[in-house]
Amino acid sequence: MAAPIGNVVIPGDTFSLLQLQPNDEHKKILLGPGLKEEEAEIKVLRPGILRFRKPGVYWVDCHHKRYIPAKGDSVIGIVNQKVGDIFRVDIGSSEQASLSYLSFEGSTKRNRPDVKVGDIVYAKLLVANKDMEPEIVCIDGYGRSNGMGVIRNGGFLFHTSLNLARKLLNPECTLLKSLGNRFQFEISVGVNGRVWIKAANDVQTIALVNSVIASEYKDNDQIKEMCKRISKAVSRMEVD
Amino acid sequence: MASFTVVKTEDLAAEQGKGPACVLRGQTSDLGCLTRQDGSVSLSQGDTTSIAVVYGPAEVRINKEQIDQATVEVVYRPKVGLPRPEHRKQERVIRNTFEAAIAASLHPRSAISIIIQETEDMGSNFSCCINSSCLALLDAAVSMNFMVAAVTVALKECGEMVLDPTKRDETEAKSVLSYVFDSVNLQVLTVVSCGKFSRAEYRNGLVLAREAAKSVFQFYRESMSKKLLMSQ
Amino acid sequence: MAEQFKMAQPKEYFKKFLENDIRPDDRELGEFRPTILNIGCVSTAEGSALVKLGNTTIMCGIKAEVATPDADRPKEGFVVPNVELSPLCSPSFRPGPPGEQAQVLSQNMADLLRTSECINLEDLNICPGKLSWVLHIDLVCLDYDGNVMDACTLALVSALKNTSLPSVTVDEETGDIKTDPTTLRPLSVSCCPVSTSFIVFDHNILLVDPTHEEEKLATGAITIIAEGGNLVSIYKPGGTPLTDEQMEDCIDRALKRSKEASQLIGETLCSIDR
Repeated sequence: MAAPIGNVVIPGDTFSLLQLQPNDEHKKILLGPGLKEEEAEIKVLRPGILRFRKPGVYWVDCHHKRYIPAKGDSVIGIVNQKVGDIFRVDIGSSEQASLSYLSFEGSTKRNRPDVKVGDIVYAKLLVANKDMEPEIVCIDGYGRSNGMGVIRNGGFLFHTSLNLARKLLNPECTLLKSLGNRFQFEISVGVNGRVWIKAANDVQTIALVNSVIASEYKDNDQIKEMCKRISKAVSRMEVD
Repeated sequence: MASFTVVKTEDLAAEQGKGPACVLRGQTSDLGCLTRQDGSVSLSQGDTTSIAVVYGPAEVRINKEQIDQATVEVVYRPKVGLPRPEHRKQERVIRNTFEAAIAASLHPRSAISIIIQETEDMGSNFSCCINSSCLALLDAAVSMNFMVAAVTVALKECGEMVLDPTKRDETEAKSVLSYVFDSVNLQVLTVVSCGKFSRAEYRNGLVLAREAAKSVFQFYRESMSKKLLMSQ
Repeated sequence: MAEQFKMAQPKEYFKKFLENDIRPDDRELGEFRPTILNIGCVSTAEGSALVKLGNTTIMCGIKAEVATPDADRPKEGFVVPNVELSPLCSPSFRPGPPGEQAQVLSQNMADLLRTSECINLEDLNICPGKLSWVLHIDLVCLDYDGNVMDACTLALVSALKNTSLPSVTVDEETGDIKTDPTTLRPLSVSCCPVSTSFIVFDHNILLVDPTHEEEKLATGAITIIAEGGNLVSIYKPGGTPLTDEQMEDCIDRALKRSKEASQLIGETLCSIDR
């Protein structure tokens, strides 16, 4: 029996290495989230859909609402507290992440960034480890902001399931493209299930937020259809 | 947010020619019935219903923090009145059961809270609580070593055994045994009893409950499949 | 050296002993600690017992009080067990309202009394609908060294067997209640439930009558209450899943212990009668 790739697996399910790779046993495999190796068997820890990517990456795609930090993730956080040289940022995980004032573009000891409690930041996880406090930064390896930093000038922040956030970021998902054809807006999506949207006016913002939330269980055709309807409805409201 | 309702009709009785005593009452689950929680489910087994909600891994209270594993908290709310000592005992049994099932070492210094609200107790309430908590944990995609399934058996005065008893069966019975099994080896994780019984009765109940637990695990799989395949 | 090893790696320390089928306190895996029973040691109480299970010490006192019965059950009295785990017995308990463990133990005692039916609540009735006895069963832990459940059960049953109630007369006209302490009637206790606790060490080894140190290292626990050849309760709250054979072994041991303990209670009772 081959491994049930693309099928639903639930905690306690096990399969052997042989099931994963019936032909080539010596290839290296990499186990992603939700899988664990135990006594020469691979054990499922989380309910979800088993996925595979070449050359040998396996993981369980599950439906989360709670964010668990992972290194390199781009997230949206809310600055909660300022303690000495660091900010405490709520990124939706079990612990608040720390953000140093030096990890902004162009900031030095003299030139402190302008960050206040309550600000929204778009940042990347530098340290994500189950035993340590997560640390986020707003610069890339070359010291540039690369789109990260404090998000200013209004807009609207809302929460979605982590699945939806990943779906929005998936290049195959047409939602942002379809919406972009009809509206002018800015959006940033954190994989921690937080989405920030800013459009020309409130009516459009609300319409966009609703269409993002409604797209969770829709396929691409349905999404296109929905975008068409929404743009019609919005233009009618704006005329009134 | 959409929620997913899975209904399982137990026609096994007719198919397998077993008496009605050997079959679980129909189970209905409503995964994601509440929206703000990490995982939520409303489970009915026959007329017994409970709502379970899971938060986690979330922030932990400093005095409950464990540096090597997640802290599991269970809160049980009865349908009427305030929680009494008997509910504290039930909370503890449920907590200990899930401490073994949850892969707690993956999330140190965090809390996984399970909150159970009894909505209707028409017999086998303990099983319903365990099963709804397990489904809520699955809904929240909390890492678990194995799943658990609880089955209650009532022993009648005449020696007859009733699987998944109703409230009436429970009051008539001389003793009520609840077994909880793990999904990997179907071994006994938890046993709680009420009333005297003999060794043979314990054994027979175990065999009966173990068979029924398989169908509970099948029900979990069906429920999760329906939810996960829909969001694809 | 052994002290340091125990401090640094308690689990490894225990494993070294268990490899040779022996425990650090020189017991075999299925052996109870020496049980000492002292019945009737509190003269001011209606019934009392002191149990020592190794270092674990439980004092049980039963105080009887007269009260009006429940309107729903006019012919029944009450039994109110209460377990107290105060800072006196171990530094891990804090002063103040009872903690979760104490509440669960009290509930276990109440469940035990109900399911074993060792006291007929109707025996506690004095005058139907008007007067009944309330038995306040106070179990105080004096020294906490593990397996409090077994010690409590033993103390509870011994104290109940030691309980005698004075006869009560009610003056019809004035409604005054008079107790006559000279005519004592012993409480009838129909059976003698005995509890046996095990812990699971390192997911596969079963240890009977655990000490506090062993309890801390446990990956699971199970308590079986037996009475005669019957089982009153099997209580296994989570922990490591056990195989059917392991469960059967536990039941075997519990039935054996039940015989031993009821014999001990019987002998002790005989010795105070003399």
